[in-house]
Amino acid sequence: MLLETKDIYKTYRKGKVIANGGISLSVEKGEIFGLLGPNGAGKTTLVKQIIGLAKPDSGSITVDGVDAVANPGYARQICSFQSQTQAPTVGLTPLQAIQLVGKIRGGKTAEVKRRTHELIDRLQMKEWENTIGLNSTGGVQRLVSFCMAVVVPGSIVILDEPTNDIDPLRRRLLWQEVQEVAEMGSAVLLVTHNVLEAERVVNRLAIIDQGKVKGVGTPAELKTGRNNSMRMELILEPGRTIQELPDFLAESIISNRRILAKVSQDRIPEALEQANRYRNDGIIEEFSLSPTTLEDVYISMVGRIEDESITEEVAA
Amino acid sequence: MINALRSYPLLMAWSWLSNRPLMWFRGAVQILMTIGFVIGLSFIFPDITPPIARHLVTGAPTLILLTMGLVFVPQMVASDRLRGTYDFMLSLPVPRMALLASDATIFFLLTLPAIIIALWIGSVYHDFTLQVSPLVIPTFLFISITGTFVGYALALAVPRPQMATVATQIILFIITLFSPVIYPVEQLPDWMAAIHRVLPIQYMADLSRGTLSDIDVNMGLAFAVTGAWCVASFLFCYIVMKKRS
Repeated sequence: MLLETKDIYKTYRKGKVIANGGISLSVEKGEIFGLLGPNGAGKTTLVKQIIGLAKPDSGSITVDGVDAVANPGYARQICSFQSQTQAPTVGLTPLQAIQLVGKIRGGKTAEVKRRTHELIDRLQMKEWENTIGLNSTGGVQRLVSFCMAVVVPGSIVILDEPTNDIDPLRRRLLWQEVQEVAEMGSAVLLVTHNVLEAERVVNRLAIIDQGKVKGVGTPAELKTGRNNSMRMELILEPGRTIQELPDFLAESIISNRRILAKVSQDRIPEALEQANRYRNDGIIEEFSLSPTTLEDVYISMVGRIEDESITEEVAA
Repeated sequence: MINALRSYPLLMAWSWLSNRPLMWFRGAVQILMTIGFVIGLSFIFPDITPPIARHLVTGAPTLILLTMGLVFVPQMVASDRLRGTYDFMLSLPVPRMALLASDATIFFLLTLPAIIIALWIGSVYHDFTLQVSPLVIPTFLFISITGTFVGYALALAVPRPQMATVATQIILFIITLFSPVIYPVEQLPDWMAAIHRVLPIQYMADLSRGTLSDIDVNMGLAFAVTGAWCVASFLFCYIVMKKRS
């Protein structure tokens, strides 16, 4: 394993705030490992401990076989990191910023230059490559930060919310690059709360919430157990409500006019009949029935979509 | 060590280029303030004589270096801490001290034009001759590094970065009005003079005057006290920058 954390505990404010409550996970060479969880779940705290900006209260972190808690300097050599916050490049062009960080990371000048142009081409950033002060263009700045992390990729590449602010086309290109980095032999730790994107790119993932691991495995493994069910989505007509949801619409989540619920295989006919009835009565605009996604697993484990609590209550 | 030497010029390039617009602006403001100071002396003291002007102007480099170290540096570090830049820099695979050394060098170079212009205009305008010692560059470098380390230490010592920005306003006030840089220490109340016997400000001014004129100052004491502050603030920065939250 290139990266291994065992039973990491990290608290703040004299133990009152538990950021990590016993996190164990491992990432191997060539693997893209997703760390998913809502805001404040403890993801960034864990990353800070891996790269030596924070120290665990207890537990161990091993990078490439070396104790990272005892040797934070070694961990920084091994890990290349894209921070959630934007890197400071007010006076630099993307070309200068990426090349300079590549050299600081120990790359040879010619190789850094070649790789920088390769990344700029592949992420279609050529039009900005010589523009100074891109801080006002959040998405481009984020791409520059990504390139800075992977221009000379370490054995472990840690990307903290790499696609925030990036347009849909370049998001796809960025994910291709992430896969490329993994194929080149790095272990990629991808921190995100974007479940849909993560499902397409990760080999394995851990879902964490309130500092604890709620589930680990491949997307398929995590969905096992929910394979006997499907998800139904109902969109309410404006101003309409459903007083009481039938029991076959389980684990429902209500968000404005949208109702998401789990339907077990044996009750699908009933659910379809009921949904048609709602539509004919003008209560809902439309409905859909689809296979379980990782998002459903995530929601059932985390218990909420960010700030929206799961509820069995009536839609309002 | 090899990593530190290799990364030092690269980090300097990063520090300079990544904040280039602010650096140019800061450098220009320093020059304008300095010119204002040396010429403005005639307005504050209408009967100023060349010996008095020499005393004041040869203390000006200390004001410039301290303004940079104790005002601009903490503001920069506080802003970096707030923006996440500080954590980004600490996440790079370079020795912490290479980061500190590169910033200290940039800040010193940024003050040099203002110091040279202040001394040149001051001596011509007030009609006195500078007696520049060969030790002038290492001495100014020493003052500058000490100021930068103390400024860094201040910015890292406060629990919230915003506090450093507020503290710099007070420091600026103290340096310019309540420090024995532009007037002798005897003019201060006893208790304030006692504080200044421990603080490095008057000793830095002594170092500056001692290497630019034949004014009689205790260079040994000045080097000793400034050196003590330099080492203490460096150690503080070293510990804080190595410390993990």
